[in-house]
Amino acid sequence: MSKTIDEAPGAVRSARRAGRRRMSSRSKKEAFYFWLFISPWLIGFVGFLLGPMIASVYISFTEWDSFTPPEWVGLDNYVKALTGDPVFWKALGNTFYYALISVPLGLVIGVWLANLLNKRVRGRKLFRTFIYLPTLVPLVATAMVFKMVLAPSGPLNELLGWFGIEGPNWLLDPTWVKPALIVLSAWGAGGATVLLLSAMNGIPRELYEAAEIDGASAWRQFWSVTFPQITPVIFFNLIMGLIGSFQIFSQVYILTAGGPDNASQMMVPLLFREAFSFYHFGYASAVAWLLFIVIMAFTLIAFRTSRSWVFYEQEVR
Amino acid sequence: MENKIRRRTLVQAAATAGVAVPVLAACGGGDDDGNGPLKMVVWGGDLDKETYQARIDLFEKANPDVKIELQLIPSDQYEQKVQTMIAGGDGPDIMQVAEGVNTYSSKSQILPLDDYAKDAGLDLEERFGAVGTLYSYEDKVYAIPDRSGAMIVYYNKDLFDAAGVEYPTAEWTQEDAQAAMEKLTISGTQWGYGGAGWWPQWWSFAYQNGGQIIDDSGQPTANSPEVVKALQWANDLAHKDHVVPTAAEYADMGPDMGGDPAFAAQKVAINTTGFWAIGGLLEVDFNWDIAPLWRGADQAVSAFGSGLAISRDCKNPERAFKAIEFLTSADAQEVIIDKAQDVPANLEVQQSDAFLTPSWATKPLNMAAFGESADFIFRAPFIPQWNEMQAAFDDNLGTFWNEGGDAQTELDKIQTQLESIITD
Amino acid sequence: MTALATKPRAGRKKLTGEREPRLLSVFKASPATYAVLLIVSAIFFVPFILMVSISLASDQTSAQNAFTVIPTEFEWRNFTEVFTATGLPVGRFVLNSVLIATLSAVGQVLSSSLVGYAFARLRAPGKGVMFMIVLATMMIPAQITMIPQFLLFKELGWVNTYLPLIIPNFFTNAFNVFLVRQFVSRISGELDEAAQMDGLGYFGIYRRIILPMMWPILTAIAIFTLTHAWGDFMGPLIYLNSEESMPLALGLQYMTGTSNEMQLPPWNLVMVGSIILTLPMIAIYYLGQKYLYEMNLQGGSAGVK
Repeated sequence: MSKTIDEAPGAVRSARRAGRRRMSSRSKKEAFYFWLFISPWLIGFVGFLLGPMIASVYISFTEWDSFTPPEWVGLDNYVKALTGDPVFWKALGNTFYYALISVPLGLVIGVWLANLLNKRVRGRKLFRTFIYLPTLVPLVATAMVFKMVLAPSGPLNELLGWFGIEGPNWLLDPTWVKPALIVLSAWGAGGATVLLLSAMNGIPRELYEAAEIDGASAWRQFWSVTFPQITPVIFFNLIMGLIGSFQIFSQVYILTAGGPDNASQMMVPLLFREAFSFYHFGYASAVAWLLFIVIMAFTLIAFRTSRSWVFYEQEVR
Repeated sequence: MENKIRRRTLVQAAATAGVAVPVLAACGGGDDDGNGPLKMVVWGGDLDKETYQARIDLFEKANPDVKIELQLIPSDQYEQKVQTMIAGGDGPDIMQVAEGVNTYSSKSQILPLDDYAKDAGLDLEERFGAVGTLYSYEDKVYAIPDRSGAMIVYYNKDLFDAAGVEYPTAEWTQEDAQAAMEKLTISGTQWGYGGAGWWPQWWSFAYQNGGQIIDDSGQPTANSPEVVKALQWANDLAHKDHVVPTAAEYADMGPDMGGDPAFAAQKVAINTTGFWAIGGLLEVDFNWDIAPLWRGADQAVSAFGSGLAISRDCKNPERAFKAIEFLTSADAQEVIIDKAQDVPANLEVQQSDAFLTPSWATKPLNMAAFGESADFIFRAPFIPQWNEMQAAFDDNLGTFWNEGGDAQTELDKIQTQLESIITD
Repeated sequence: MTALATKPRAGRKKLTGEREPRLLSVFKASPATYAVLLIVSAIFFVPFILMVSISLASDQTSAQNAFTVIPTEFEWRNFTEVFTATGLPVGRFVLNSVLIATLSAVGQVLSSSLVGYAFARLRAPGKGVMFMIVLATMMIPAQITMIPQFLLFKELGWVNTYLPLIIPNFFTNAFNVFLVRQFVSRISGELDEAAQMDGLGYFGIYRRIILPMMWPILTAIAIFTLTHAWGDFMGPLIYLNSEESMPLALGLQYMTGTSNEMQLPPWNLVMVGSIILTLPMIAIYYLGQKYLYEMNLQGGSAGVK
């Protein structure tokens, strides 16, 4: 993994590497500046995060109610999660379901919309604002409006009715509550267009001119020019989307509280409930670290595959 | 707008949200020598804040040397904020507690108050009657009752008259109630009853049948025939008899819809809930009144309320207790009724004219229903794992409430879970 | 040096200037494009219209769910009631929100640009590992470090101040570091190398070459941070106690925890609050998009020119 990372951003470096190899004093100076420049992050990480993280690893090996001193229980919490708690597996399954559909869906919608908005459309500032709008509305309001939109006889089902489809009870139905949350996430997919559009804006015009001379259709141009050029941003959105969707919390908390029958229970709401409602901090911390491992695994997979489809500009040239 | 902000209790918020999952929160600077202001935390909305503040003002006037800093926390976030405060070693001096009291008492996070009461010459039995020792754990009292009132029946007189149904009384049986609900239902537009999906409601029926959720020895008995029968009845009212709106029908009425708003909107003719609905209903343009809950084989009804406790972080518990003693005295408790906030726990106030014929009542109200109900309030099991117990019910009854189902099956599952929660 | 800085600007003029040559077919918007955009915008916009509609409804209408998508009632007084009826210092809330959000954005912009630049450009042993850690920190659910973090800030005596909400932003966050690093790695290294030949140090390169080109991403980060800090209620809820210090988003949360005479939260007022909360963000986004999208043309084209 670290190798992949080294290569991606440092493409610049390949050009410089040859001349530099022996200049160890310069390298040292460069390294010094590297550490100096990242020190804000490093200090913040060590100061505000590492301590709490170490605390949380320790807590995960204990039984702790946050009031009385923690009691060491070794791996019990992990064993309980993996073998003794049906809700854990249900929540993990739900989270997979949600992440594995909402992330690709969000990317497709995002790229599709960005591609449309990248055209010379009249009023595109307005269109962009409309499409970005859902990201700006506070969740309290979004949740309330979605409860109405997703009501059994609400606007969405009415719309489906026009096409002869009898809509489900969405939030009340264990089968449809997860798709409902995915609908909500798709509604926010416009947020991804910001980075995609700015990436599309940066694509050199010459590439399209050349493609047009070759007689490539708009569709073809999208796949041969636009898409490869924006893969770094798509990759970025993919990683952020994976991390974000595996950590989905507020939507579940406000819209469904995990119900009905835990059908929409996800990992973070689950650990939140264990920690702050049941006072099982040890168990909640263990669940958090298991979730961390899952996210880590998916991110690693994404990085591994990225070499075959993510192109950085300098490599293209 | 005359925006009458009303109390939504912790449990009420939980009922709407499914589970009281929430948000974490914290606290202010500590007082070091124990002579600084007392920090007091309560939950609720504006009316609650106003009422508590008015009572505190009375206290400060009588005790100029003691100051109380009141902090109001939204109900959904109350437990988490208090938890963070205590975990941070910076707990409040005085805190409001209710069903979750023994989460704190079992972990020694709040102080036993018996000795303070004795020293202050406060007789809990005399001041509060049977609820005096409601907030007890292992024979010690951990909170002094502050607000307390039975769940009562609200009924829409106009709809009753139109359907030619007699008004409810405490002598109604469950069958009488159902017969009335059927007559009061007009398919698709009006329902007889707001429903009993919230624990204080269907648990009341279970206790009326002679059942218990947790028996006297502390063992769960959630799948006993009495409890099963009560739950099945509560559910059938919606899904078999159609005299209660189903979850889908409620969702179509609007977000966060339930019995209380549906009653105010005249969608349901009967609703069972706490005192807090009265304030809002004073403004509606239909006739309504209140009555004690109907009965089964036995009389039983749940009560809503809260008490005041002292956290272990309190530097000067004597002073804090003095404040609690004052806040639950007749003078301070009268404010609760003057502001139409809730039922005061103090019996003297509950039996006073101020309560029975409140100044704000626009029409005569059967306020005696509260006193009448007080005789048959059942004691809900405030076990330390209260939240987990509630979650066990919510986790298994979601689809059951939404779509109907078999109570026995669900309660068997719940019983198994409760057994493991309680032995843990 | 100056020559370097003006070079990309010349390139931009060629691409977007008035003398733009000819619209390439990929950029041509067909009627179908408009149709799709209109439909999609409508879908994205309808919930917002609903918000507006509810905010203009009377208490009764909003409680009975009886409002229409296109507003028919216009209870404009809701917009003043929200300041008075709730008894909360809403004006103070807005000021607090502005203060917290602005300082947070300043902190993120300053720190993330420097750290992101270092990760994109500078070489050092251990950089790969450091970047792994950056990524890994994003994968830790924030909820789990909440209590330990709270204990830490409490030890520092920061509880009931804005410090826990603002100061961490000056130490950047993983998301923004990643964002800047991705962005900078798209900028050609030729400029830095030329600058290095001119004898510019690493900070000089950052300050004079890279930073000016980072505007699009820094504006994006500023907007993201503003939006996030503006809408966040969990942080303020944890760390702030007094009403006077609360931001608007938390005040709104207080409002939903109450209920009106219809036994429901005052949805119409909550929606008014939401609109007050949303409008500044819409304005910032609408005005900021020029930087979000157009400026990148400069940065991006500079990368290949």
